[in-house]
Amino acid sequence: MNRLRRYSLPYLVWMGIFILIPTVVLLILAFSDLSLYRPGTFRLSLANFAIFSLPTTQRAIWNSFRFAGIAAAICFIIGYPVAFYLSKLGIRVRKILISLLIVPLWSNMLLRINAWEKIFTANSIVTDVFGLSISLVGTDAAIVLGMVAMYLPFMVFPIFSVLEKMDPKLVEAARDLGANDVQTFFRVVFPLSGGGVISGFVMTFLPALTTFVLPAYLGLGKYTLIGTLIESKFIKEAADSRALSINQGSLISLFLMILSITAFLLVIRVDKEGETLI
Amino acid sequence: MGKRTKQALSVGFFRASAFVLHAGTVMFVPFGGAAMSKKMIVLNHIYKSYGDLKVLDDFNLYINENEFITLLGPSGCGKTTCLRLIGGFEAPDSGTIEFDGKIINGLEPNQREINTCFQKYALFPHLDVFGNIAFGLRLKKIPKEEITQRVEEVLRLVKMEGLGSRTVSTLSGGQQQRVAIARAIVNRPKVLLLDEPLGALDLKLRQEMQYELKEMQKELGITFVYVTHDQEEALTMSDTIVIMNEGKILQIGTPEDIYNEPKNRFVANFIGESNLFEGIMHEDYLVEFCGRSFECVDKGFRKDEPVDVVIRPEDFDFVPPSKGKIVGIVDSLLFKGVHYEINVIVDGREYTIHTTKFRDIGVKVGLSVDPDNIHVMKRSGA
Repeated sequence: MNRLRRYSLPYLVWMGIFILIPTVVLLILAFSDLSLYRPGTFRLSLANFAIFSLPTTQRAIWNSFRFAGIAAAICFIIGYPVAFYLSKLGIRVRKILISLLIVPLWSNMLLRINAWEKIFTANSIVTDVFGLSISLVGTDAAIVLGMVAMYLPFMVFPIFSVLEKMDPKLVEAARDLGANDVQTFFRVVFPLSGGGVISGFVMTFLPALTTFVLPAYLGLGKYTLIGTLIESKFIKEAADSRALSINQGSLISLFLMILSITAFLLVIRVDKEGETLI
Repeated sequence: MGKRTKQALSVGFFRASAFVLHAGTVMFVPFGGAAMSKKMIVLNHIYKSYGDLKVLDDFNLYINENEFITLLGPSGCGKTTCLRLIGGFEAPDSGTIEFDGKIINGLEPNQREINTCFQKYALFPHLDVFGNIAFGLRLKKIPKEEITQRVEEVLRLVKMEGLGSRTVSTLSGGQQQRVAIARAIVNRPKVLLLDEPLGALDLKLRQEMQYELKEMQKELGITFVYVTHDQEEALTMSDTIVIMNEGKILQIGTPEDIYNEPKNRFVANFIGESNLFEGIMHEDYLVEFCGRSFECVDKGFRKDEPVDVVIRPEDFDFVPPSKGKIVGIVDSLLFKGVHYEINVIVDGREYTIHTTKFRDIGVKVGLSVDPDNIHVMKRSGA
C-alpha cells in the first residue's frame, strides 16, 4: 500500500495545486471584498450575495436550468430507446454503434459546436450541398439542439450499462408470471434501470447547465447562461477591478460547485458501485 | 398408455414390491396411479438445435397430472431446453407441445398456465418479498385484500411468515429459494417447472428442501417438472424419472425401476454407483462374466449374446473364502457413516462393495451375490 502511494504522489500534488488551492481561493474571494489583481483591503463579507438578486443573474440561472432541463429530457426520450436497443444487440453490431457514439466525443467540442453553428446558419455549406437553408442560430432551438447533440452519449451510456448487466432471467421471470412485453418493461426493466437514468440525467444536465461556449456560438451571444455570466464576471475584473466583479463570479461558481456535488451524492446513492459513471 | 405402463409391468414390479415390503408400508404401486391420471403435458416429436448442435432429437414425453417428474442427465443433455420449451421461452424447430389437451406452441410464456422456479431464483431486486410474490397476482388485477391474503397464505406454506417486507438482497440463499417457489405457486399454476432450484444451496439445506418440495407438491396437487443433474435428488423426490443424454430419452421409470433395472450402461453408471462387467448370456437364467457362470433371473436374450452386467455395491455379501465363487483381497476401506465402502481386488479387477460388515485391508474374502441382484442389460451399441 505504502509503495503504491508513492506512485500516486505526482497526481495528488497536481490535484492539490490545481484543484484544492483554487477552491480555497474561490471560497475566500466569494466571501470577501478582496481584489485579485490589486490586493488591498480584505474584509469578510456577504455582500457578494447581492448578485443573486439582480434580474440578469436570475435570468441567466433560469435560462440555464430551462435549456439544460429541456435538453436532458430530450436526451432521455431519444436516448433510452437507443440504450435499450444497444443492450439487445449482438456484440459485433453493438461495438460498431457504440464507436459511432464515442468517436465524435474524442474530437474537440469547440470544433463540433462550430460545425453546428455553420449548419444552423442560413446559406451555409448545407445549402450548397443539400439545397437546405436552415436559419436557427440565435434561437432557443439552436441552443437546445446543440446541447442534445453534445451530451446525448452521456445519457445513452449509463442507461446502456445498466440494461446490459441486467439478468435476462428477470425478464423471463416477469413473462413467466403473466406480464406482457409492455408490463414487463414498466414493472421490471424500467424500474431496474433507474440508476442509469439518474446518472444519465446528471451527466447531461450538469454540463449543459454550466456550458458557456455553446450559447456564445449557437446563441450568437444573445443568451446569458450561468457559464456566460461567470465568464463575463472574470473578464470584466481583468479589465477593471471595480464593482467586485470577480468576487461575484466566484460566488456563482461556488453555487455551481454545490450543485455538482449534490448531483454526485445523488448518483453514488443510486449507484453504489459507480458502474454507470464513465 | 404405451411404453411406460408396459415397462412398469414388465420390469418394475418385482423389485418395487420387494422394496415396499422391506419398508413395511404399502406406499408405492408402480402402474396403478399412472393408469388413472390424465396427461397434462405431451411433447410430440420435438426437434431443437442451436446451429449445428442438436439439443433435442425426436423427443417424445408425456407428463401426467399431479406427477412429480424429474428430467435427469448430465449437463448439455437437453433437459433445461426441454423445460424452456414447456415454459415458452424457446420454440421447437418442429414438433408439438400440448398442454391440457391443447397445442400451445404459439402461446407466449405469459399466456401459459405454467410457472417456473428459475435456477438462480431471478427474484426482482427492486421489490420486497411481498412485492415479488404478489407480482403475478397484481398483473391479474386481483383485489388487494385477496392478494394480501394469498401472499400470506403462501408465505406460511414456505415457512416465511412475517418476512414479507424484507428486501430480497437481505435474504439467505435458502430464503430466496423459498420466495422463488412462493412467487410461482401463489399463481396456482397447473404445472410448476423447476430448473435445478436447489443447486446453489448447501447439502443440509438441500436435503431439507427436497423433503419440503415433495411435501408441498403432494399438498398442492400441482404437476412438478423438475430438472437436475443430481441423481440422489431425483431418486428422493420423483414419482417418475426421465434419464436423458444427448437430446434423447434413455429410460423412463419410477426411481426404483431406474435404480434396480437400468436399461443400459449409461443409466447404470449415472444412477448410483455400480460394478459393470461385460458378459455373455449363455442361455435363459445363465450368464457368464469374469470367467465364471452365474445363475440370474433374466431371460429372452439370444444364445451367447454379449451383454453388460451390473451389480450394485450393496448387493454383494461376504462369505468365507472357501464358499465364495468370487475370491479376492480387500484393497481399501472407507468409512462412510452408514456403511463401509470396501474395494476388493479379484483377478486384478476392482469390485466396489457397500456393507455394514468390517473387513480389514489385506484380508482374503469370498463374495456372493443373489441371482436377482445380478442385472443383465443389452450391450450398449449392440
